[in-house]
Amino acid sequence: MQVTVTLIGSFRLKWFKEMVLYYDHDAELIDIVNDVGMPVEEVGIILINGRHSSLQNRLRDGDIVTLMPLIGGG
Amino acid sequence: MIIIKKVTKNDPSTVLYRRCTIDLASKAVNFEDVPCRNLEDVMGGFGRSFQILAERKIENAYCPENPLIVNTGLLTGSNIMTGLRAYFSAYSPLKHSSKGLPAAMWSAGSGNFGSKLKWTGIDEIIFENRSATPVYAFISVDEAGPRVSLRPAGQLAGLNSHEKIMALEKVYKDAHFAAIGQAGENYENVSMGVVALSTDNQLKSGEDKCRFAGRGGMGSIMGYKNLFAIVAQSTNRLGPISPEVRDVNKVIVRSGGSARFQPVSQGGGGGTWANYEVLQAFYAVPENNFRPKGNDGVEKLFRESVEKKLEVRTEACFRCGIRCHNNIFRRNPDGSRGEFIAKFDFEPLNLFGTNLGIHDGAQVAELIKLCDNLGMDAISLGTTIAYVLDYNERHPDKVLFNGAKFGQFAQIRELLKRTGKGELPDIGKGLKRLAEKIGETAFAMQVKGLELPAYLPDTNPGYIWAIAGGHMSMGTHMLLAKEGKTSLDDWVAAITGAGLLQVGHDMIGLCKFVGFGASHEAIVSAILETTGLEVTSQELMQAVRRAYLRGLALELQQGYTDEDFTLPSQVFDSPNENVTLPHFVTRDYVEQLKNRIWEIFAPEMDGLLPEG
Repeated sequence: MQVTVTLIGSFRLKWFKEMVLYYDHDAELIDIVNDVGMPVEEVGIILINGRHSSLQNRLRDGDIVTLMPLIGGG
Repeated sequence: MIIIKKVTKNDPSTVLYRRCTIDLASKAVNFEDVPCRNLEDVMGGFGRSFQILAERKIENAYCPENPLIVNTGLLTGSNIMTGLRAYFSAYSPLKHSSKGLPAAMWSAGSGNFGSKLKWTGIDEIIFENRSATPVYAFISVDEAGPRVSLRPAGQLAGLNSHEKIMALEKVYKDAHFAAIGQAGENYENVSMGVVALSTDNQLKSGEDKCRFAGRGGMGSIMGYKNLFAIVAQSTNRLGPISPEVRDVNKVIVRSGGSARFQPVSQGGGGGTWANYEVLQAFYAVPENNFRPKGNDGVEKLFRESVEKKLEVRTEACFRCGIRCHNNIFRRNPDGSRGEFIAKFDFEPLNLFGTNLGIHDGAQVAELIKLCDNLGMDAISLGTTIAYVLDYNERHPDKVLFNGAKFGQFAQIRELLKRTGKGELPDIGKGLKRLAEKIGETAFAMQVKGLELPAYLPDTNPGYIWAIAGGHMSMGTHMLLAKEGKTSLDDWVAAITGAGLLQVGHDMIGLCKFVGFGASHEAIVSAILETTGLEVTSQELMQAVRRAYLRGLALELQQGYTDEDFTLPSQVFDSPNENVTLPHFVTRDYVEQLKNRIWEIFAPEMDGLLPEG
């Protein structure tokens, strides 16, 4: 299974802008976060194919995952 | 604040706060220790000031009977991190109902003024009437207690906010300052004047690094009262930090709520500037009067783009571990850091940046600096000017003012400067009045007479229930981007639950950047440690809820009707297809939302205002 991971904002500086990950088994979003080495508490917004999702969402071949940091106003 | 006896239960009447009433007309000063009526009084900030405002019938903000209330929160001046807030409350010359009555407003700011005021032993100052000539108030403390005098301020006339502060700093050591700029002095033509609050960094460096109580025109109220500044002189009264308070501060500085504002180098999100990149992922960054174009134009104001030409230095407020400030400096030819220009927060960066069609970081910084120094609210001014530019694009044959259009820096700068000097009252009196005068309100980005902050109204029906600034008094401005939720159930729950609890920060003296990450238990613990008061998390939330609802009830008292509780009609009639977030805010949706929310709020509002 191939999943494209796109990071936004400060995540790009800490990790990467975009990366393709391959899995030979079923995976959930939380697996990607763990594999990237991203602390779960830093994840603010999660999209799969442009739709808001949660860490427990299952992934499918060809999915595009977008991860964004926490944000706040001011 | 005086605690009569050690309480084992939250009993507000056992707590007295020190009020100082200053009659600016007669120069009479009166001190009294006032028993708290409820937990809102104990917590302070707008929770207390709105109860005072509710007792007055004010039909014109610029009248002697409209008080200016300056107070602090329970934790202002304490060892709890971010406990720096000072609050300014009055009936607003800017925010008003369609019946023309002024709304009650508060505005909060950090800097060191709030702590210095608290350390004089005064919890609240009520400025009554107005002075016949310009004055400033000098507040100090000696063995006998707090002392107050009014002193001539003619020498401060015409100085900008930073210059006023630095002129006073030469006279008063170990003091901090609240001052207005030229805009406040020109209150008759500028309703969006701010109160500038001095910072340690400013006084030491001489750089114009004020903090601001910005919303609702509290600086214009000071100008009307001929009160050009307030000086608070006292010595540091912070005791040693207890292990318990240290633990609370650790929670604050490390919590998810504040982590997003820490610098990237510290593992954080990089301040509110980071919103640019996140919202751009949905093409939801305001451009050209809140109409994103769906392209990459706004990326020129991403941090990595700005850093190619300018120096960005991350700093924090006094003794705060949340280093949220992104201060912008010019870069010298040799590559070293040059002159300080301004601080980039998301609101002014956007509202003087891409929302005006400006994509150059240095130009944006210059506009922010000019606005700050003249002493105007960046949100109100930026959003009003965006409307002017939009109008001029729509009506090339009958342009307003100098005909400025999006992206025209020099013309925009001229509008800003002339507004601050009181030469363009149609801008200075705010967007609602301007749009109604012109007769084109559809694209006027204001709700209930207050200009919108830099989040699209298309994504936030919660604006309708904000009581003192769209994103500062209703925490739903990023709900759609964060969670993608659009159901009525979700929005009713957000507005009537966590969204309104955001105003709790405007009572206790802490900064909103503490976030919800610092649990209520931590705040309860902080209050116990700092004051000896025992309150429960539930009691705190009930008090915050009552305070919020009192604000909403005050809007109704000041003539707000159903027609005021809506969004700019462009949101309904011309959805922006460039925004990739769900389009769900229709007229019908808002009507259903209103029905559901009033069903919840209306019964709770009974009895919150004085009879008659």
